[in-house]
Amino acid sequence: MKIFHHVFLFSLLLLSSQSAFSQTKYTVSGSIKDSKTGEMLIGAVVHIIETKNVGTASNEYGFYSITLPEGEYTLVVSMLGYKSITDKISLHQNIKKDLAMGDSSKALDEVVITDEAKDANVTDPQMGAQKLDMKEANKIPVLFGEKDILKTIQLLPGIKSGGDGGSGFFVRGGAADQNLILLDEAPVYNASHLLGFFSTFNSDAIKDVTVYKGNAPAQYGGRLSSVLDIKMNDGNNQKYHLSGGIGLISSKLNIEGPIVKDKGSFIISARRTYADVFLKLSQKETTRNSSLYFYDLNLKANYQVNEKNRIFISGYFGRDKLGLANAFGIDWGNATGTIRWNHFINERLFSNTSLIFSNYSYKISISGSTASFDITSKIRDYNLKHEYQFFINPKNNLRFGINCIYHTVTPGQVHASEGSAINPIKLQDRFGLENAVYASDQWNISDRLNITYGVRLSSFSPLGKGDFYSFNASGNVSDTTSYAAGKIVKTYFNIEPRISAGFIINESSSIKISYARNAQSLHLLSNSVSTSPTDLWVMSSAIVKPEIADQYALGYYHNFRDNSIEFSTEVYYKSMQNQIDFKNGANTQANELIEGELLFGVGRAYGVEFFVKKKYGKFTGWVGYTLSKSERKIDQINNGSWYPVKQDRTHDISVVAMYDLTPKWSLAATWVFNTGSAVTFPSGKYTVDGQVVFLYTERNGYRMPAYHRMDIGATWQRKKTDKFESSWNFSIYNVYAHENAYTISFREDPNDPTKTQAVQTSLFRLIPSISYNFRF
Amino acid sequence: MKKIFFPFLIINALLFSSCTKVINIDLNSKDPQIVIEGNISDQPGPYTISITQSVNFSQSNSFPAVTGASVTVSDNLGNSEVLTEVSPGIYHTTTTQGVSGRTYYMTVVTNNKTYLAQSTIPTLVTLDTLILEPNNSIGPPFYIIPFFLDPVGSGNYYRCIETIDHVRVKGSFLYDDQFNDGLVNGQPILNFSDSLNPGDTVIVELQCVDKASYMYFFSLDQTISGQSGAPANPVSNISNSALGYFSAHTSRKKITVIP
Repeated sequence: MKIFHHVFLFSLLLLSSQSAFSQTKYTVSGSIKDSKTGEMLIGAVVHIIETKNVGTASNEYGFYSITLPEGEYTLVVSMLGYKSITDKISLHQNIKKDLAMGDSSKALDEVVITDEAKDANVTDPQMGAQKLDMKEANKIPVLFGEKDILKTIQLLPGIKSGGDGGSGFFVRGGAADQNLILLDEAPVYNASHLLGFFSTFNSDAIKDVTVYKGNAPAQYGGRLSSVLDIKMNDGNNQKYHLSGGIGLISSKLNIEGPIVKDKGSFIISARRTYADVFLKLSQKETTRNSSLYFYDLNLKANYQVNEKNRIFISGYFGRDKLGLANAFGIDWGNATGTIRWNHFINERLFSNTSLIFSNYSYKISISGSTASFDITSKIRDYNLKHEYQFFINPKNNLRFGINCIYHTVTPGQVHASEGSAINPIKLQDRFGLENAVYASDQWNISDRLNITYGVRLSSFSPLGKGDFYSFNASGNVSDTTSYAAGKIVKTYFNIEPRISAGFIINESSSIKISYARNAQSLHLLSNSVSTSPTDLWVMSSAIVKPEIADQYALGYYHNFRDNSIEFSTEVYYKSMQNQIDFKNGANTQANELIEGELLFGVGRAYGVEFFVKKKYGKFTGWVGYTLSKSERKIDQINNGSWYPVKQDRTHDISVVAMYDLTPKWSLAATWVFNTGSAVTFPSGKYTVDGQVVFLYTERNGYRMPAYHRMDIGATWQRKKTDKFESSWNFSIYNVYAHENAYTISFREDPNDPTKTQAVQTSLFRLIPSISYNFRF
Repeated sequence: MKKIFFPFLIINALLFSSCTKVINIDLNSKDPQIVIEGNISDQPGPYTISITQSVNFSQSNSFPAVTGASVTVSDNLGNSEVLTEVSPGIYHTTTTQGVSGRTYYMTVVTNNKTYLAQSTIPTLVTLDTLILEPNNSIGPPFYIIPFFLDPVGSGNYYRCIETIDHVRVKGSFLYDDQFNDGLVNGQPILNFSDSLNPGDTVIVELQCVDKASYMYFFSLDQTISGQSGAPANPVSNISNSALGYFSAHTSRKKITVIP
């Protein structure tokens, strides 16, 4: 056999004297980390100078691997915000090379322009993906000075804000529940604090944020519109550090340090708001007795067991509490936990196994003299992911794995005290099993053509125990079927192909094209104007089919002035099946038969996005513009014609500018403008039951006024040494005090009861804030 | 039950100094729509069916009457009568008497269009008493609780109408037995807009209504409050896209004077 093998090799050698197969190949692999903190660096680009078109990027655990023919090479590692490393290697055997990169923040504009990472937007075949630079995000002014990554991504084209007081965001015309938000792989079901004024993510605890606008690779699935992949800091494995911030309405503290130096580290970040302290100052007793705050806690620890194994444990716990004078209380929050095991099988094969827990719950408490009761609801996931990354050769990087999730939804339980005028009630728990297998390959076909292609095979099965209902046309139960525990009610299979290809036209420009299908089996039913903590998650069942979206996108990317200015434009078309809406007058509260209140139809969204970004220099920033449309068609609504969805915004502009005035002072400003969302307004009025009632003729037939706002901020760096750092942050939200409409309502004219008038409510005019941050 | 979410609005108001202003919006005009309102109760008649039309939003609140319509009420025992127009758009019965358990049919013909509706008077549940309940929390200093015993078996729907010193309180207060089947009602009339003062005479009328009528008033409440994400017209039990309702119901009243 061995002779045969040699003959085979020899003949190959004869066929092609240049063939790579003729040479012995070796692998250089290792991990890339920050030299100062020991944090693993994600997405650092490893490039070989001697061979064109050979390069890779470190994965989400900082691991890289390149396989090359035997020889002498020059390795260049680069990443935005770090000094590039150049290293000579002699590849005569498999070698392990761990690399540490130094911070270059003081000299961002001096970084050599040959830096390969800088043209990643042109060369990377991935479309519709945007990585958030945390350092940049921290400079952008926000409400109450509370840095917020969810607010920052809303400044990117194609990602739209839910308006003042809404943490929900909309990607390419999709609804808020069509975004998969992952915190260290654990899905976060409600990403908002304080009814949406803040997001659940404490930006001090976050290392990396990537958002995919519907073209996510095959390892992600379960939501139609986007994936927001957030990774927590690992913690400094060199030194102990304490950092924190004191703001007008919240404070936070962050402790990190080594468990065993170079081997393991931990980080704990905690945050709490104290807006309720101000309530105590109120004249009114009921206000004084009210509570209103949130807190959250991020924990993470990692330990390198040996050269081949590394373990990570991370957790998040956050809770909001709202109480009104002991009469009414609501608290809600997420808890997530992830245990991960990285295993280096060999130089080219990397595996990761994750066990993930995620829980979102809320509780409403009402106390009155005759009827005191609690309503509780939750959604809970147990999730297993097992994945391999196989660095086959410099041209192919394969990723494959499985994912199983067991969902439990407790839609609503009413607990009443003894003798209460309310009966305890328990809606049936719902169970579901979501499985997926996937494979995705990143294939560098030539110098010019790269593709990432893959497929995700997903299934969803609603499970017993429970009664499942059928409904007739008028929404009444026509049939009930009972299933035993664990019994499969129905299984939906979906084949989700994903492909994204990039063609490099020349050094500074490229075209990309992509197609992706996504399926979604969990749906959020929201009946109110903005998302509320009590919105209900329902699973697919025999009646509610999985939502499906097919997105086609085409993009052109061009970098100017040695990659210092980035331009991109993408057009997309997305068609959606099995979209869900409520019937008119639907009863959504603690309703066992909620499925009878739903309507189903199709959706479509399309648009074009433009993005120009200046990345280096004293003056940096970007301008994004989106022209788009998002519509739905449901037989029973607007006579079955297409109508705009609430989040449809024709124009959307965002401008972000940052300027380093002196080494100590930096300034930032943002301006946003968007077409008002689609709303339903009355087209007439009539009288019934002694009251004037408004007459509605079509859903979402009107527009809210256009939204625009400018925020400014300044950061004053006081001291910066290795031992102590401190800075002050000043910001003004809505600096020209534009009264943006939060709601528009209609009422009787107080001066002339025979007339009716429209009244606009706005939330925030100008809001100044100040915060102090430190680190030692 | 449906009003428990109002505190969100209070929280908003507490925390953030929101501001309101009157604005001008150019609203589309719409051809006048027919509005029918009909009630049959188990109390002696005459019962009224009124027919009006909608107007454009910018017009003043005077709603044109629909005169000369042919209005008929019948029941499932074959009784039938044509109503008399006693004043423009107001039609009265003369012989019909509402009885629990009977189904009533309404037919309105006007302008070559026919509008049909039916409604059944449910089994009587009497209003036992009105109780004044002190309130130590936010809201008015006390509430009125209509005491009545819900019969065992779900599917009972109630509508309360409150009158304070001969002034009818706008809207109606709805109860169902989703959460308290077979129990004595302990939920107060949550009237946040009128305060009760000593000496006020309060009359509460309890109606037992059928599901379709309940759905109408439930969705009417949603339409009026404007809290729904997608406001829409209430779910009417009248055919041919007419606005309004036709409700056959029981009616029992209790009176109390605020001490």
